[in-house]
Amino acid sequence: MKDGAFAGVPHQVVYAIAMVLTAVVVLSAFVAPLAGVTSWLERRVWARMQSRVGPNRVGPQGILQWLADGIKNIMKEDIIPAAADQKLFPLAPYIVFMGFLCSFVVIPFGANLIVADLNIGILYLLAVTSLVVVGILMAGWSSNNKWSLLGGMRSAAQIVSYEIAAGLAVLTVIFLAGTMSMQGIIKAQGWGPWDWFMFHNPFTFCAFFLFFTAALAEGNRTPFDIPEAESELVAGYVTEYSGMRFLFFFFAEWGNLYVIGAVATTLFMGGWQVPPITDNPVLLGILQFLTFFLKSYFWVFVAMWIRATLPRVRVDQLMSLCWKYMVPLSFICMLGTIGFMFMPDQGRRIFGALTLGFAIATIINFFRRVGFQFSAAKPDAYWKPHI
Amino acid sequence: MGVITSYLKDIQAAVTSTFEGMSITFSHLMRRPMTIQYPDKIPVPIQETLPHRYRGILEVDMDICTGCLACERDCPITCITIGIDMNKETKQRYFTHFDIDICKCMYCGICSESCPTGAIRHSQEFEGASYNPAGLVRHFAPQAVNLYKPKKGGETEPKLITKVDIGQAYMDEFATADGGAAEEK
Amino acid sequence: MTETASTETGFFSEEMTISVGPQHPSTHGVLRFVVKTDGEVISEAIPDVGYLHRSIEKIGEKVTYHGYVPYTDRADYLAAMFANQAFCMAAEKLAGTEVSRRGEFCRVIACELNRLASHLISVGTFGQDIGAMTPFVHALRERESINNLMEEICGARLTYNYIRIGGVGYDILPDTLTKIAEYLIHFGPIVEEFNRLLSGNKIFIERLAGVAVVSKEDALSYNLVGPNLRGSGIKWDIRRDIPYSIYPELDFEVPVGTAQVGTLGDSYDRFWVRIREMQESVKILEQCLKMLPKGPAIAKVPKKFKPPVGECYARVEAPRGDMGFYVVSDGSEYPYRVRIRTGSYTAMSIIDKLSKGIMLADLIALIGSLDVDAPEIDR
Repeated sequence: MKDGAFAGVPHQVVYAIAMVLTAVVVLSAFVAPLAGVTSWLERRVWARMQSRVGPNRVGPQGILQWLADGIKNIMKEDIIPAAADQKLFPLAPYIVFMGFLCSFVVIPFGANLIVADLNIGILYLLAVTSLVVVGILMAGWSSNNKWSLLGGMRSAAQIVSYEIAAGLAVLTVIFLAGTMSMQGIIKAQGWGPWDWFMFHNPFTFCAFFLFFTAALAEGNRTPFDIPEAESELVAGYVTEYSGMRFLFFFFAEWGNLYVIGAVATTLFMGGWQVPPITDNPVLLGILQFLTFFLKSYFWVFVAMWIRATLPRVRVDQLMSLCWKYMVPLSFICMLGTIGFMFMPDQGRRIFGALTLGFAIATIINFFRRVGFQFSAAKPDAYWKPHI
Repeated sequence: MGVITSYLKDIQAAVTSTFEGMSITFSHLMRRPMTIQYPDKIPVPIQETLPHRYRGILEVDMDICTGCLACERDCPITCITIGIDMNKETKQRYFTHFDIDICKCMYCGICSESCPTGAIRHSQEFEGASYNPAGLVRHFAPQAVNLYKPKKGGETEPKLITKVDIGQAYMDEFATADGGAAEEK
Repeated sequence: MTETASTETGFFSEEMTISVGPQHPSTHGVLRFVVKTDGEVISEAIPDVGYLHRSIEKIGEKVTYHGYVPYTDRADYLAAMFANQAFCMAAEKLAGTEVSRRGEFCRVIACELNRLASHLISVGTFGQDIGAMTPFVHALRERESINNLMEEICGARLTYNYIRIGGVGYDILPDTLTKIAEYLIHFGPIVEEFNRLLSGNKIFIERLAGVAVVSKEDALSYNLVGPNLRGSGIKWDIRRDIPYSIYPELDFEVPVGTAQVGTLGDSYDRFWVRIREMQESVKILEQCLKMLPKGPAIAKVPKKFKPPVGECYARVEAPRGDMGFYVVSDGSEYPYRVRIRTGSYTAMSIIDKLSKGIMLADLIALIGSLDVDAPEIDR
């Protein structure tokens, strides 16, 4: 670097710029297809839950449907309403996208596969996902449309309230792990379910579900998708958006699903921890990445599943659910966990085993219930369709 | 105390009903979908799977049409237009035009029930989309077609026998007074 | 936009006038409501109808009696059989025609199948309005099977032209009867699964319990009919109280709202009445299939149908309530006047009263629970 194009520039600056560019490229190349494939998977999962097929034409099993949708939307006419705020209207989707993209910096895909292991990792994540609120309010207000304004304000109120519930549930884990760094939290857990924070004691078990519900509400997913409720506000804050700008909001939503799953896995399910099978670093890295990815994608699937099943809550019920049910319960979980930290090891192990046993019993009960649905519905008539 | 019990009951009801709903949707995930992936992923063409009585787009067999104008009169939406002229030398009456506007047609079946020979019938066709409105008018007499004169004592010409029989079978099925096939056949 | 200033706090709150519709994913058909709201709570919701007016009543003066029957299908395309039947009953009363017995049974079979289809759409779209997308598709899947059955019976899936003056247009063949019987066995558990998925869901119940309560006095004074009336606890069903066709010989219950969750006459009661009506229709169909007599499916009716001078009103219990056809005849082939009375039109009148003080989301729930249907309102 002594002569040539970059002579005279201090090498830290060059490295910093290179790092930023790499991060941007890697994140975009990873995140965009991830959000796209999530959208395809969501449509296929919903379709199968509704006895139909879903998109299966574009590419093998329809996996390139998101690409086709993206190309179609890019080719659309870019409509900005004449009365809308000309500067803020185009800016809003990018702020929403940025808010969610920044959260990928601290997602730990493996022991060494993390962009930046900040020592305030989880706090950074909670803070950065609130950027989305700014973007949504901007979208709602700059559309110059009463419907969008209503949707934007509702969404802002929802996200801000559920931050508290989510934050309290996360606090539970931070107490147990003793650190806010994502890698630190993972290292405080083990590879087996008995070592995960989720089954550590009954209070963290509840805290997990509280966190998951609050995270769904923050991500504007059903049953809390009032800002996007088609049947009530046309499309809420995205009513005036069309083409690629419209897709940006939804890209952010689907990608956010993955972030929710990743955070849930990191905090409560042991992250990338794998059983000590191999010492080969490459194999270990791949195994850890796969474990983390599959665990977080399972929660993405559960979010899609919940969206297919549940109806929508009303806005006042949403607020009362947050402040009257989730925040007090989160406090109780936090205090309970602190109490458990004072318990001697033997007693804590018993409670952990009981919690794990309860979870396994619930899963077995669930599959028994599924079997009952099969036998009760007599699906013969549509296992043999007309032709 | 009642407040706490109702609070806990609410939570319990929410959790159990969500659990139940999720088990139902999961069971549907495991079942075969009911979609028929028309038109390419089906074993037989879809027209062959339609029921016998399906009221598709109208078709007219001009060879056995007698020009009685019963269908034009009875059509409630006047989608059938027929023109008949007479050749002065041969005294042969012929059709100048026999147009059915398939986008006006209500697919009610009244025309096919009033036809004396069963010339106008509903086919199994339903794919009638066109790029312009003019394409939705079916012309059944693009050139002059002679009117059919039903012969007393049955039809003798071999080509027309099959057509007359098909028309008669259609009428027996759909245009009888008792609605067709009341007895066990 | 009107401004109302609260002088105690010096705080201005504006009232917005929003137009819900006519293009809107949840109003059932092309309807428009002019809603005055302060953002969440509605102060006034005035319905604006007429977007789907097709002059069906005027057309009745231009076509023959036989030719008008397909037009009656379009008066409410989700419950086409009932309009067919009401008009044919009016024409038969005018001319004094006796309907064949097998024809009556075929009419009831077709009508009850159509009631199932209409109620499936109603509860499915209601769930969709509340946000549950899966029960909607399941309901449509079941309706597809019913459409297939109707296609076998009469050749059309939505606008049937099946019930004719004097009976029915086509007889129901034994194959189809077997398929209907199989379908009924399959359908009973489907309703129960639907209940487990949607009706028992806590969020659904919370959305609907106590919302838009219609008291008995209001229901009567605003002239509600059908499940809307029965949801408020009043047991009135044309099939029982002004019996027609062969309904007196059939054994079925008339479900009424019983404050299942919340107050009597709320949205959940109306929804629950529809679910129970589907189960009762299954019972009626099973009985009809057993009792179906042999004979001609249609009585002899002249091609040129010319009833004597007179007027006549015939009512049937359609899925959306009491559907009535008032036909005036002047002795010619064409009716002098046809007037259609539908249940959805009167249900629109109560929306303004019920919508004061509820939230926007509740307005959608209210419209869905009343099961208003744009083609019926505008004709």
